[in-house]
Amino acid sequence: MKQRILQTLSELRNYALSKGYAISIFYHEEDSYLMRFANSAISLNTNEHLIRLEITAYDGRKRASYEMITDLDKLDEMKQGVDVAAEMVQHVQPLGYEPTLPTFSESFADETAYDAALAALSNAEKLDYFNTVVKGLETEEIRLSGIFSHGVTTVAQINTRSPRTQFVRFSDAQVTVVLAHSQLKWEVQAEQSAQQKADLDPLAVRRELAFLLHHYQNDAPLQIPLGTYDIVFGPAAIADLLSMMNWIGFNGGSLKRGFSFLREEHVGKTVFSDKITLLDDPTRRETFPFKRDGTGIPRHPMPLIEAGVFKGFTWFQDDADEFGMTPTGHTVMHKSLVLQGGDQPVQTLEDLVQMRRDKDVLYIPFLHYMNIVNPSKGIVTASSRFGALLLKQDGSVAVPYNVRLTQSLLDIFGQKVAWLAQTTLPYNTSASYGARNPTAIIVPAFMRVNGLEISHSNASY
Amino acid sequence: MLKSIQQQIERLKQAGVTYVDARWYPFEESNSLMMWNGNLKETSASRESGVGVRVLYKGAWGFSASSDLSNLAAIFDKALDNARVAAERVTFPIRLAEKDAIQASFTSPCQINPFDVPLADKVAFLKEMDACLDQPGVFQRMSALNFTRKQIVFVDSEGSHIEKLITEVFATLRVAGRDEQGAVHERKYHPGRLGDSRGWETIDPRRFAENADRIVAEMNQVLTAEPCPKEDRSVILLPGIMYLQTHETIGHALELDRILGYELAFAGGSFVTLDDFGKLRYGSEKLTVRADATIPNSPGSFGYDDDGVPAQNNLLIDKGILVGAITGRQMVEEANARARRLIFNGSSGANRATSFYRVPIERMTNINIDPGTDGTLDDIVRNTERGIILDGDRSWSIGSNREQFHFATEIGWLVEDGQVSRVVKNPTYKGATLKFWNSLSAVGDESTWELRYVNNCGKGQPNQIMQLGHGIPVCRFDNVRIGE
Repeated sequence: MKQRILQTLSELRNYALSKGYAISIFYHEEDSYLMRFANSAISLNTNEHLIRLEITAYDGRKRASYEMITDLDKLDEMKQGVDVAAEMVQHVQPLGYEPTLPTFSESFADETAYDAALAALSNAEKLDYFNTVVKGLETEEIRLSGIFSHGVTTVAQINTRSPRTQFVRFSDAQVTVVLAHSQLKWEVQAEQSAQQKADLDPLAVRRELAFLLHHYQNDAPLQIPLGTYDIVFGPAAIADLLSMMNWIGFNGGSLKRGFSFLREEHVGKTVFSDKITLLDDPTRRETFPFKRDGTGIPRHPMPLIEAGVFKGFTWFQDDADEFGMTPTGHTVMHKSLVLQGGDQPVQTLEDLVQMRRDKDVLYIPFLHYMNIVNPSKGIVTASSRFGALLLKQDGSVAVPYNVRLTQSLLDIFGQKVAWLAQTTLPYNTSASYGARNPTAIIVPAFMRVNGLEISHSNASY
Repeated sequence: MLKSIQQQIERLKQAGVTYVDARWYPFEESNSLMMWNGNLKETSASRESGVGVRVLYKGAWGFSASSDLSNLAAIFDKALDNARVAAERVTFPIRLAEKDAIQASFTSPCQINPFDVPLADKVAFLKEMDACLDQPGVFQRMSALNFTRKQIVFVDSEGSHIEKLITEVFATLRVAGRDEQGAVHERKYHPGRLGDSRGWETIDPRRFAENADRIVAEMNQVLTAEPCPKEDRSVILLPGIMYLQTHETIGHALELDRILGYELAFAGGSFVTLDDFGKLRYGSEKLTVRADATIPNSPGSFGYDDDGVPAQNNLLIDKGILVGAITGRQMVEEANARARRLIFNGSSGANRATSFYRVPIERMTNINIDPGTDGTLDDIVRNTERGIILDGDRSWSIGSNREQFHFATEIGWLVEDGQVSRVVKNPTYKGATLKFWNSLSAVGDESTWELRYVNNCGKGQPNQIMQLGHGIPVCRFDNVRIGE
């Protein structure tokens, strides 16, 4: 299949050259499967196989693109797409800068993050995984929801500058298991991300769910008073906060357009806690990494924050072209973010609950519907969800109704950080908007931040 | 192709499936242009076609989709295979509410097909808007146009055959400036819908130019304004934020699949229960809400949903009491059975998919609030002792059961003793959904009512982006926390 894809791209390139066009082609193929559960049944079992071709035509400072869903058998249709893009570019207005049509210095292919066994996972295996996770945990009132999403993503590129190509293929799986009380409306959740079939461990998911379920069924629920709390965030919450920081923090284009809470004067300065070290590390296969970016720049581990010091902004090629900056190899569908672990020897939620504590601590595993209140100050807001716990000073546990946090990322990752867990794990942050783009962030299992304010507290589930 | 699809449906019926339908998209095309600070950053177009097949077998759904129609039988077989697997874990066998077999067509009203408009004309419009926005104080300016056009052929095993041709045009203007501290403040213009159509003719350059001047002026006022105070006040929501309040805390909360727990793994649930229908005081007596998919000029109107059910105009909240939901054929049957009473008398025709390769789910149509009797915006302000007028969505975050929310807006005008006193920056408000809607104390008349569209509502797994509308008047709510 790889040869057929590259051969097709080569034929399209030759066609474009014969017409005198300057184009680049981005090929995206996904073979996606989703088994979705609700009310303890399979509510949807679906698959899709889609090939998207994005053809971008260049003419000096002019640029236009045409995207089509197509099939490898439809070469003539693809050629028509090339013609459409080339026609469009004749009628657009020139940019104020010259967009780069990159020259790949060598052909590159990477299938190290592809696992044939994961790609070939059967319906029966997925169903068996879920049955293993929830066996004995479901009741008439406690119902299963969740997804088992898996698939293969293939990305390939060529352009008229050279015959060289880029090709990368990933396999991925994302599992979310939710047990929800049908009357009381509470939910507990456990998740797993897999790049290889061997990463799948339903018993680990089961242990976490069973532990949370025990507390939600047996511990007293309460509306916690408004005020400041020491909060331990779980991996989902940490990854979500980092995703937001990536969006309105490190991105050079966001900086220039005024939508970043980090400024040029922050580079080289201590902005965050010295416990925070964050890398973009494409050597980590669990992140579904791109080892070359879309312009052919080799990607290597790059520190973004080192012991609290902000190291610099990342630049897409187009933003670098527009603002006269040097691209940093970040013309990619996603970074490979890794937040390094700390010194706290806490591996599991059971460990966390058993830790001695000098005051009540709020555990928030998941932040729902995070949004940016004020990008210039890095202020975000979100609600707790899926299994929050109030770990009381006396060692007991209570179940808090959901609460809302409205805080600056500068506080959450700043001097209020108390500790990070030694143990790290990949948390899957793939969005199912648009084309498949498997993404995971490696995060510590837990991060404690002291003195964060709760601005709303629900009176019930 | 139609005949081949019908043959495959017949073949699966013979194989024992309960129900099968196919949505064939002969084409779906889009065109997007975006100018940022004078640079035409995006000029893109797309085209796709394909078929999605949904099979109901032994009480479970299977779905399959492909753009490759050379082996139609394989797509139908895969959908049936997927349903067979799903049938191994069924807790409530799916039944579909009755509907008529329909042979019909629907074409959205469109005088000028945006795909017939030369690219040069579209670029000229953006250049004109960019020039309008290029004023002192403006640090970033953006203008955008988006067009879609799609043909959908729906065929099912119950004898329905429906063909739809839907065209949509969306346009946006946006400016940003920096205050003395370097913080960025934005103001946007999303036009409300006037007239009876939804084609290129809805783009009126003069109206856009007037609003370009308005948003620049308002943004410049925000840049020099004091911060929003942190206190309780009456909030007066203009359509630019009222549409989103309605969308997030009424629309999503009343999607029946959410109420029944079908979205718990991702989007969330709803605080509403089946017991609440006919009883729950959702809001004050001034609140009457309807799901109206019959308005001609909104993307929330589509003729027939993807169950093949005709578009309807149904009450959701009647003088504050919850009476209806956003429903499709599957969910109403399950809800009635679970509640052991007849809550829903058939589907409300709101089951939609975003593309051929997604399965239909409950989506908002046009979730509208009836105009009230509290006069114009000036009348409402005059009758407000201590309030704030809010407009423009800046951020929105809602609890997983839609039980509470936090919104930030682009601009706020404080009201003291019935008069607008001054502009404030970084306004926010928050609340608990039921308490908030029950604090509704004034609903503006027809002069304040606007139809706003939403072109990017996300829901479901795999996620689906949907277009819809909200017709809303200016509303006032009392004792609301602002400034946090």
